Amino acid sequence: MKTALYDLHKELGATFTNFMGYEMPVKYRGIQEEHLNVRHNIGIFDVSHMGNLFVRGDAEKISYFITGNASKINEGMGEYTMLLDEYGYIIDDEVYFKVGKDEYLFIPNSGMHGSIYNWMRINDGLELKDMSDEYSILAIQGPKVDMAVMEVLEKDVLPEKFFEIRNIPEGKFKIKTDISKAFISRSGYTGEKGYEMYIYPAEAAVEIFRAFLEKGEKYGIMPVGLGARDSLRLEKAFMLAGNEFRGGRTPFEVNLDFFIDWEHDFIGKEALKKKKDSIGEKIAPLEVIDRGIPRHGDAVYSGEEKIGIVSSGGYSPCLKKGIALAFIKNGYRKEGNEVKIVGQREMKAKIVKCPFVKKGEC
Amino acid sequence: MEVRENLLYTSSHEWVMKKNGMVRIGITDYAQDHLTDIVYVELPEINKVYKKGDVLATIESVKSVSEVYSPVTGKVVAVNEQLENDAGIINSSPYDDGWIAEMEIENEKELGELMNAEEYEKLISKDL
Repeated sequence: MKTALYDLHKELGATFTNFMGYEMPVKYRGIQEEHLNVRHNIGIFDVSHMGNLFVRGDAEKISYFITGNASKINEGMGEYTMLLDEYGYIIDDEVYFKVGKDEYLFIPNSGMHGSIYNWMRINDGLELKDMSDEYSILAIQGPKVDMAVMEVLEKDVLPEKFFEIRNIPEGKFKIKTDISKAFISRSGYTGEKGYEMYIYPAEAAVEIFRAFLEKGEKYGIMPVGLGARDSLRLEKAFMLAGNEFRGGRTPFEVNLDFFIDWEHDFIGKEALKKKKDSIGEKIAPLEVIDRGIPRHGDAVYSGEEKIGIVSSGGYSPCLKKGIALAFIKNGYRKEGNEVKIVGQREMKAKIVKCPFVKKGEC
Repeated sequence: MEVRENLLYTSSHEWVMKKNGMVRIGITDYAQDHLTDIVYVELPEINKVYKKGDVLATIESVKSVSEVYSPVTGKVVAVNEQLENDAGIINSSPYDDGWIAEMEIENEKELGELMNAEEYEKLISKDL
């Protein structure tokens, strides 16, 4: 599958990778260069492989499917949440927004919108509209983001609070566009200040992407591929569906129990309560001491004992070191603990604190 | 993607430059682009004999670990020590500053088994 921006990526010299069935740019100029540019200036990403699922219905009915509580969300705001199965295991994590009275926009992970559509369809009271193929999503991220966004949009349309979302009315664009419907939220997956734009019809995102490259040039904007998207999120220790959870993981194991609202009823709640005290391993952040880059699936040892497995590994362009998130057995996650990571190669590492890279530290 | 006229190539994307009885070895522009940013290189041992097809060096990029295979049989006489400090040179200059090793070849005939620029270009264009 291709996003509406595929030809533009090609024109910009992208190297492509297949991600969940989508031909997506992994990089344009270089992963580290793009990564550092998002930390220091600004970058624009095509994330149209993510889904767009509109759900209309009663907040209580919607909340039955998520760990969060939609009744507590004000119109124009959103939150991070998870969908669990009956056993309390994570099906998917996502951000959702309240975009109108009784109307919500869910942004499922790539390839998940179909299953979530079917999962939520079991409730008669909900009206679902899967618009994933009709919408494009652009992420614009980095400390200079406001200056660039204000070249394209009128200032008064920009959401001010984190997870705030606004409809962009016609006439608020400073450029010519074919957009018939668009939203902008203050959100992202890089740990930097940023916005995400949801654009209908999908093809209209091409001119928006071009406008950002052109008008953002003086702020140093660069197109950014999935390679840097992954290293940016890993430095902030954000979880990646498919890596940190692909079935069989509860929110406790990935340190996301903060996002459970226990005051409401949701699928998996009873099972989760029972599992709470019998969790044997949890995600911990590891930093490599010598040379080497941990990879997904590498084993983690303490002496001769296997104590865990790497769920996400990579190289941190900010720290110039290998870093990883790993499921580590209880009793071994103390900060400073030395471990050995064994995969295609072997390296020494230690348990550190989350995030790997703090705000402004790069 | 640059393919240099005067070099020989392998199907595993190494290049070989003939230099009076010796060869200089590196990886191609196509290879560096596909590996993405190279972060570490494990260089071969000087004075060690490597057979054709042996692992000569290991390249670790932000995306993967890959091996560089010896395109010929011979003794390593020099390695590019600059790569120890900045392996990214391979990305910025795969054919010049980013060379990996120099070898004394045992059997000149082995060079005849390598591809010329035109053949290599054909190989990578299949992939584009």
